Amino acid sequence: MTMHSEVDILLVEDNPDDLELTLHALRREHLANNIFAVRDGEEAVEFLFCTGRFKDRSWEHPPRLVLLDLKLPKLTGLEVLKLVKNDPRTKAVPIVVLTASREERDLVASYNLGANSYIQKPVDFDQFREIVKSTGLYWIVINQHPLSNPLTRAATP
Amino acid sequence: MKMPSTQNSLSQNRLHVLLIEDSPSDAEIEIAELRRAGFDVAADVVDTREQVRERLKKNPYDVILADYSLPNFRGMDALDIVRETNLTTPLILVTGALNSETAVECVKQGAMDYVLKDHLARLAISVRRALEDVRLRQERARTQEQLADKVEELARSNCDLEQFAYVASHDLQEPLRMVAAYTQLLSERYQGKLDSAADRYISYAVEGATRMQALLEDLLAFSRVGRNGVTPSPTDVNSAIDEVLKNLDLALKQHNVTVTCNPLPTILADRFQVVQLFQNLIGNALKFRAKRNPCITISAEQKGREWLFSVFDNGIGIGEEHKDLVFKIFQRLHTRTEYPGNGVGLAICKKIVEHNGGRIWVESELGHGSNFRFTFPAAVADKAGKTEDYELCTQDPISR
Amino acid sequence: MSSAHKILLVDDNPADANLTCEVLATSERPAQVSTVADGEQALQFLHRSGQFAEASRPDLIILDLNLPRKDGRAVLAEVKADPELNDLPVVIFTTSHAPRDIARCYELGANSYVSKPGNLGQFFSAVRSIENFWFGFASLPD
Repeated sequence: MTMHSEVDILLVEDNPDDLELTLHALRREHLANNIFAVRDGEEAVEFLFCTGRFKDRSWEHPPRLVLLDLKLPKLTGLEVLKLVKNDPRTKAVPIVVLTASREERDLVASYNLGANSYIQKPVDFDQFREIVKSTGLYWIVINQHPLSNPLTRAATP
Repeated sequence: MKMPSTQNSLSQNRLHVLLIEDSPSDAEIEIAELRRAGFDVAADVVDTREQVRERLKKNPYDVILADYSLPNFRGMDALDIVRETNLTTPLILVTGALNSETAVECVKQGAMDYVLKDHLARLAISVRRALEDVRLRQERARTQEQLADKVEELARSNCDLEQFAYVASHDLQEPLRMVAAYTQLLSERYQGKLDSAADRYISYAVEGATRMQALLEDLLAFSRVGRNGVTPSPTDVNSAIDEVLKNLDLALKQHNVTVTCNPLPTILADRFQVVQLFQNLIGNALKFRAKRNPCITISAEQKGREWLFSVFDNGIGIGEEHKDLVFKIFQRLHTRTEYPGNGVGLAICKKIVEHNGGRIWVESELGHGSNFRFTFPAAVADKAGKTEDYELCTQDPISR
Repeated sequence: MSSAHKILLVDDNPADANLTCEVLATSERPAQVSTVADGEQALQFLHRSGQFAEASRPDLIILDLNLPRKDGRAVLAEVKADPELNDLPVVIFTTSHAPRDIARCYELGANSYVSKPGNLGQFFSAVRSIENFWFGFASLPD
């Protein structure tokens, strides 16, 4: 994994196959220089709040995009969402839920908790790659991300 | 005790003197001495603190002559009263024997000069010097005030201009976008469906609109330099160049450009501006290439408290008569069919460099390439890893 | 889920709204686009009040920022504060590139922020990408 100083995309995924596929799809499109992966909800929260294992991370460089699985050890995806989207310091980070779940209630809960978007992982490998590619393209190229943490944002014209 | 003022044969302005002296004969001698020297003296003689205060409140005096010790108070105390009343009237001690230490002390405390009573010949000279000193001070104060006014006026005018440029280009973008989009749509949907004249009209309209869009964007970029309020921080120029080369990667490869980069320093600057600056210079070097394989060399040398950067290319070069012109905004030396662009790149470079307290110029010969040179104040890292910056004169009157 | 996707387009510039609708119409997925020109009408539409009593709940809101009567930021804030409406995806689509605006919208809960490009081709591309992502790949609440 790359240095976690200026991370473009944070992947929160505990399934190693899915992680591999996602990384591969993103790298092929050259969408991001730094992609960092964490394996459970607790690590994700520490990363985004610059605490614990990631206390040396700077608030000035939040990731441009978080791809968040829902079924995670230690802290679930929904719990991570709740913590991150309820805190003004981290609320602006774009979080796209990328999950195998087909449950309507997971979808509704995610949007209610403030997920920017929700994607269901296809079973088919090619479709999975396609969806990751399109998601990456939209959120990194088309979408404008908030430049920096509101607490440390420099004066703007 | 009041002495009547007398006329003098020499026509000069009246010299109003406040004489703090308890001996009438001494006072008479001093006044006579001044008259002898050509002054038209109008003198008031006093010997108590209250009288001094009273006089100073009522009348303006050109000079105060004070004895060092009077029965009721010290001559030097008159200085306090002068200061109380917010005056700047000079005080000259006219006194009997005074040891030199005391004399120097009095001058330090604010007396303009001291004259010994048995050397009264010096009195006139001393008074003249005091008057000259007052005159000079007043003149200097006046000039400084005028300068401050002019600077304020200039700052306001600059600010207005910048705001105008920003608002104009910003607000003009919206309706222009409409014109550009719909003329283009017209062109796409109706090409060949109306007559050939209509096709031509539409294409001119599209061209005009797109060119105006580009001009506005350039103007906005130009007016934005220095407005984003970013505090300068240590910027490694080598890494900024890496970023520029990455941005221009495709074009550099396409035209087989050799870029030689000598070791470059870390300077105190806004990194975005540094990238912009070099990107414009290197982009130009690329655009204005000659038939031979383009070569660009970037280097820097330290000259005292500045770094002198050079961006050298082997392109088409610039004629002597155009060397100053190229830095002017929207100034182009070629037609649009020869070389694209709006003529804003170098104007932006100049603005960035000057905003950081540097100078930029070009050394060039037509047909033999150009060497763009600019200075940047040096930032020096001390042992603790902090940086001190040497600030050259920053003449930016606009503080944001 | 009903056959046509429903989009609420909030834009006070008829020329832009027209362009956006034209692009949306070219999609293989049929879309039903309702356009309103100011912030107050947008909220009336979403609350199904007044002239919009018959309106149906949109699947996606494309929202400009500088609107008369109630500006886009206020609309965004109200939508995201309303428990009935806050799960509706809102894509801010505006000419502003100002970092301050972008940050503010995310703070207010915008799902996505896309700047309107000045160039026609890029404008078309942007609208197409919005439609393509939100209706081709993302899953939306019913």
